[in-house]
Amino acid sequence: MPSAVDIPRNGVTKFTNCRLLRAGSLVEGDLWVSSFTGKIIRSQEAFYDEYIVPDEVVNLGGRILAPGLIECQLNGAFGFNFSTLMGDMSQYGKELRDLNRKLIQTGVTSYVPTVTSQTRELYHKVLPFLGPSGHKQSAEDGAESLGAHIEGPFLDPARHGVHNINVFREAKTWEDLEECYGAENINPAGNSEPMPVKMITAAPELGNMTKLIPEITSRGIIYSIGHSGATYEDASAAVGAGATMITHLFNAMNPLHHRNPGIFGVLGLKESQPRPYYGVISDGIHLHPTTVKIAYNAHPDGFILVTDAMHMVGLPDGSYTWTNGGKTMNLVKRGTQLLLEGSNTLAGSTITLIECVSNFISWTGASIPEGLKAVTATPAAMLGLQGVKGTLDGDADADLVVLSAEKDGAAVKLVVDEVWKFGARVFKSNT
Amino acid sequence: MRLIIRDNVEAASRYVANYIIDRVNHFRPTPEHPFVLGLPTGSSPMGVYKILVQKYKAGEVSFRNVVTFNMDEYIGLPRDQEQSYHTFMWKNFFSHVDVLPSNVHILNGNAPNLEAECIEYEQAIKAAGGIDLFLAGIGEDGHIAFNEPGSSLASRTRVKTLAYDTIVANSRFFDDDIERVPRMALTVGVQTVLEAREVIAIVLGPRKALALQRCVEEPVNHMWTLSSLQMHPHAMTVCDENATGELRVKTVKYFKSIEKVAREAGFKQILPSKMRTGMVAPLTPPETVIHESDSPTILQPQPTTSRMLLHTAPANEYPVRSTSPDPVFDRMASRIDDLAINRAITPEPVFDRMASRIDEPGLTRRLTPQPPMATEITS
Repeated sequence: MPSAVDIPRNGVTKFTNCRLLRAGSLVEGDLWVSSFTGKIIRSQEAFYDEYIVPDEVVNLGGRILAPGLIECQLNGAFGFNFSTLMGDMSQYGKELRDLNRKLIQTGVTSYVPTVTSQTRELYHKVLPFLGPSGHKQSAEDGAESLGAHIEGPFLDPARHGVHNINVFREAKTWEDLEECYGAENINPAGNSEPMPVKMITAAPELGNMTKLIPEITSRGIIYSIGHSGATYEDASAAVGAGATMITHLFNAMNPLHHRNPGIFGVLGLKESQPRPYYGVISDGIHLHPTTVKIAYNAHPDGFILVTDAMHMVGLPDGSYTWTNGGKTMNLVKRGTQLLLEGSNTLAGSTITLIECVSNFISWTGASIPEGLKAVTATPAAMLGLQGVKGTLDGDADADLVVLSAEKDGAAVKLVVDEVWKFGARVFKSNT
Repeated sequence: MRLIIRDNVEAASRYVANYIIDRVNHFRPTPEHPFVLGLPTGSSPMGVYKILVQKYKAGEVSFRNVVTFNMDEYIGLPRDQEQSYHTFMWKNFFSHVDVLPSNVHILNGNAPNLEAECIEYEQAIKAAGGIDLFLAGIGEDGHIAFNEPGSSLASRTRVKTLAYDTIVANSRFFDDDIERVPRMALTVGVQTVLEAREVIAIVLGPRKALALQRCVEEPVNHMWTLSSLQMHPHAMTVCDENATGELRVKTVKYFKSIEKVAREAGFKQILPSKMRTGMVAPLTPPETVIHESDSPTILQPQPTTSRMLLHTAPANEYPVRSTSPDPVFDRMASRIDDLAINRAITPEPVFDRMASRIDEPGLTRRLTPQPPMATEITS
């Protein structure tokens, strides 16, 4: 009558005694994942239909179990910058794999590798490496690319940041984009091979960019407003044309003026109208903490935390060279601050995404679920990956982080204890 | 029947949970010799499940070799919907303990053939060796499982239409929308429950007080199906103080006193040892045999499927129906003690011709011809 004692291994892990990030709150419960399918399992169905008993039970001792973090703006890390040309491009692939394995240890299980304003040649060579890698469903490969984000070069020279304005240009037609990025990189291949580019940041007021937005979005590419001097009217027109994202809100754009609200103003649209998602860098340098709070309250469902980290993240303080759009420059890292040498120009950050979440929670008094939502469910929704990434619902990818929350007064520090990718553990902290 | 009264819901639930754990651990179940547990759903047993889960996590009990049978399930409700009893059991119990999915039995309310589902369920219970302990809740109308008022006390697993009271009561699980409550359910029968070797009913809260009173103090009655527990040799009802509101003071005092006396005297009212530990004899489900002449005229439910009660219980078969004895024809006079009358035997009648009683020989001679016998006609 009772079933046999020998139960074949099924790759199923059950997390128990955990606080699950579900529907905007932390709820006590269990979660089942399969390393065979790489998915989160609907445990009740598995139990009743397939007689599945987990191979392994992981007791989290009341810690938080959240979807793996999703990074929407990362320029590089651990000494490797995505906007790098190498004599031997196979070396690029090797360094990228290295980065992915290290990046996942920070809790980022999937991300959008960002390429800044660069030469045509660099785009053509680099983008094929950066396309979505999730279809391989390989946990050992580390963090998964969700497709590349090209930040440039159709940007406003007046708001270039550290981008090299020598490569900036304007687009009149779709062909201009194809010429710049490579047609095969921004057109669906029609076979199973995924298209490399997922997102393009461009200034909508330049050239014919606003008119080109439907061309971009119709190919499944997200159009993001950024590095732009757009007025409120320009930005509204871009949103009307299909822009669904704002790249690092407040940075490299006109500040909010009460008579000209600028790009920020589109967040003030009526609740019933489409409002874009927007990335916010909460490293304490790019934006004042209060600004972050205002940005959050403007449209909480669109709020996405990004690092905009450069390749010095994970490296010691010091001066680092970087070839940017054919020009070599020195960047100085001091703590989490990254400046162009000899200036006060911010050159991206060197913060990790989980630190951004901790900052955001500590500064705004937001709850932990609200903070985590900005790096899980919201970016997943922005990227059109609802139900696949950024959620603990059944059938979603089993990308998970185990977090400890250390409270110090009002400050909250989230620490990544474990990382799971496609149902397999890929990182466990020593402490 | 034992009636255990505890101060509050928590204490009553803890008593039941501890009792179940004690039984399981004493039984020392193995894969070949599992403990078979009948389980209810609803709000009454929630506390019991919670404590069982706690104790499992504390390592005090394992359900690895426990086979479970659930009482009932709605018909037509998607299995994984929030209100289904599959979901209830998964959320409140199965997902937290080490019970094997292959050992879990819940009626399938979406089976293509519901009748067959019920028959198979009864067979599965028998194949598992019968239920060692059936935990039950109770409705406000005294129903056990979905055996609504008026259910036959001899009923078995079957399709049951829910009483309106039950639909209203259960609508609290369906956002108070009566329309969404299924109208029918599959349920084990009263008889199925009574055949368990032991039955425990947990009755909590003032709303159950009337039902408890009817089932404990009033006669066995199909309008309060839990009252059938009175016929069970090893039944126990555990309630909180609030549920005793309709009982007589005398009744409450009585049951409290026997528990107190037993405790003071250092003994417990316990099951026969073979029932407590189980017997490691090979398992052959007993056949149901109907003794045409010996069966009692009043139904006396007895555990039937037990492999161990074959030896321990006074009766190990349950008669499916009682039979009236064949009539024995006797002389009326033999029933009268007066010997004189008894001796005055009425002579056997002598059959003669009517004509022979008439003195006139002429008539006597005129013989009426004998009527032909039927056999002669046909031959």
